[in-house]
Amino acid sequence: MNNMIGKVAKFEIVRQLKKPAFWAAAILIPLFIGGIYFISFVFGSEDVNMNPTLDENTKMAITDEAGILGPEMGQYIINGDKEYGIQMVKNGEADLYFYIPADFVESKKVDFYHISEGLDLFNYDGNIIKGILAQNAAMKVAPVDVISLMGDFEVVDNKLAADGEDANALGKAVIPIAILVVFFMFIALFGNRFLMATVEEKENRISEMILTAVSSKHLIIGKIIAMLVLGVIQIVVLVVPILILVFLNRDNAMVSMILNSIEIDPVAITMNLILFVASVFLYAGTCVFVGSLVSTARDASSFIGPAIIAMVFPMYFMQLFMLSEPGAIVYFLTYFPLSAPIALMLRSSFGTLGTVEFTIGLIEVTICAVIAIRLAVITFQKNAINFESFRPKFLKK
Amino acid sequence: MKNIVEVKNFKMRFGNKIVISDLSFEVKKGEIFGLLGSNGSGKTTTLRALLGFYRPTAGELLIDGKKYDPEDSSVVVGYLPEERGLYRKETVIDTMIYFGELKGLKNPREWSMKYLKRVGLLDKVNEKVEKLSGGQQQKIQLGITIMGNPKLLVLDEPTKGFDPMNRKLLMEIIDELHQKGAAVILITHYMDEVEKLCDRAILLKDGKARAYGSIAEIKKEFGGKTLDQIFVEIYGGEDE
Repeated sequence: MNNMIGKVAKFEIVRQLKKPAFWAAAILIPLFIGGIYFISFVFGSEDVNMNPTLDENTKMAITDEAGILGPEMGQYIINGDKEYGIQMVKNGEADLYFYIPADFVESKKVDFYHISEGLDLFNYDGNIIKGILAQNAAMKVAPVDVISLMGDFEVVDNKLAADGEDANALGKAVIPIAILVVFFMFIALFGNRFLMATVEEKENRISEMILTAVSSKHLIIGKIIAMLVLGVIQIVVLVVPILILVFLNRDNAMVSMILNSIEIDPVAITMNLILFVASVFLYAGTCVFVGSLVSTARDASSFIGPAIIAMVFPMYFMQLFMLSEPGAIVYFLTYFPLSAPIALMLRSSFGTLGTVEFTIGLIEVTICAVIAIRLAVITFQKNAINFESFRPKFLKK
Repeated sequence: MKNIVEVKNFKMRFGNKIVISDLSFEVKKGEIFGLLGSNGSGKTTTLRALLGFYRPTAGELLIDGKKYDPEDSSVVVGYLPEERGLYRKETVIDTMIYFGELKGLKNPREWSMKYLKRVGLLDKVNEKVEKLSGGQQQKIQLGITIMGNPKLLVLDEPTKGFDPMNRKLLMEIIDELHQKGAAVILITHYMDEVEKLCDRAILLKDGKARAYGSIAEIKKEFGGKTLDQIFVEIYGGEDE
């Protein structure tokens, strides 16, 4: 790294880290999230029926290869194998299907199949089998019944899509969406900081003094690097407590249900990580460009607002992004430069972004990021000693 | 090379407005040079073009034989601009160390502490700049300007807003650096300062040189009048 860029970046990083406001913003958000989690855990758990019973309108089927259920459950036991049971769910002959494997004592697992739209993350119908097995075991005690009585086995939740395809859309989307959430936080936390960093020299009338010691290009690049490093620090401070909280509560029914539903989708995760990096540079470039156009943070905030709205706009159309066939609005938001980052990440998360579209989108975001940063450097250089308030002609009237 | 600054056929136009038309002058190494003129005569524009903030419409502006590059450590320039400030939320010492590092000082902390002791601000080392008085902030700005033993000091109305104590300090520092061989370009409206300090000067009006040479030569050209009288003769009737 250029020596001057390093000196500028070091100064900007250290002085931000010394500010209580930086740490307040970094710590208050996880505290807020933790607070919501705590409240929903303490007060919300009463509303969630984690031990549901079978209602009379629900059709249930069980394959009991272990042979542990008594004759009183005969109405639910089918003769077919697992594939047959799954087909029953797909055909609508059964709402819930449980498969008790022959090695139940060793594996301590029961497979549970049901139709899912992909959004019922907190589905506890699988626990019905625990009630049934406990009731059944109470009548006769054998080694297998001890497991049943204690409920010491796992119900593996297998979601099936309405059209019969295997589905866990939300489970696969959890990690890619988490990457998107981090980018969203970056937008929320860092827009103002980028603007302040860019206009500070002009606002405090230091531009001329500092630009006789360092070139405007190196000054602005140093500032961008500093803000990105601070972004990483702030995100680590934000994410680590959440991960610790999740780890400590991994045995909690709700948390383990969420964790079990998470499915690693390497393609979507890789796509979103690459898009995240390019998008951060696009956002940084846009903010710095706006900051370099104006002379005060106040002027800058009135111009950056529309850019931020355009960036987060796809979030308002979340439902449209979840459809398997993207519509015109989704395509527009995917290729409009400012909305592209979030739109591309949403589509990647929900599995509707193919390799070709990903490549086109990534190239577009990268080119726009380079143009924005280049424009920012040029504009900063030209406007470094313009101390007058910037207003477009039509606003002056 | 005996000139530290060379301005050759410099023209500057902003939109349709010609600010400087065909200006040429030199500043010799080690001299104190007065860049004089009424408001709007093009003094600050010339300095800004010399330091690379403006790209000239035509002509060449050179420092030590080349276009100014702030990161070229062979030519250290100390610039005290007319529009000047500091990082208000930073401490005195952090601000000075930052500028010291940018200007290539080997030990910016040590240099800053010595300077702060000299100007009586040692007790303000860890104060935020915004807590300092206007006069104390001027001392910090002055310290930043002279960091790294500049070969050329460019002072744009340096005493503007300075209290008498700081004005005296500034004059002492200019004199010290001058003794060490630094050239100084001084923009000022105070003709007594010019008479006392400057070896040579140029008087600008509407972007053109109206008088150029040693102070004695300029006086001779205007029939032995004082600089104050010459100033009134050239700019008489203009709104100051």
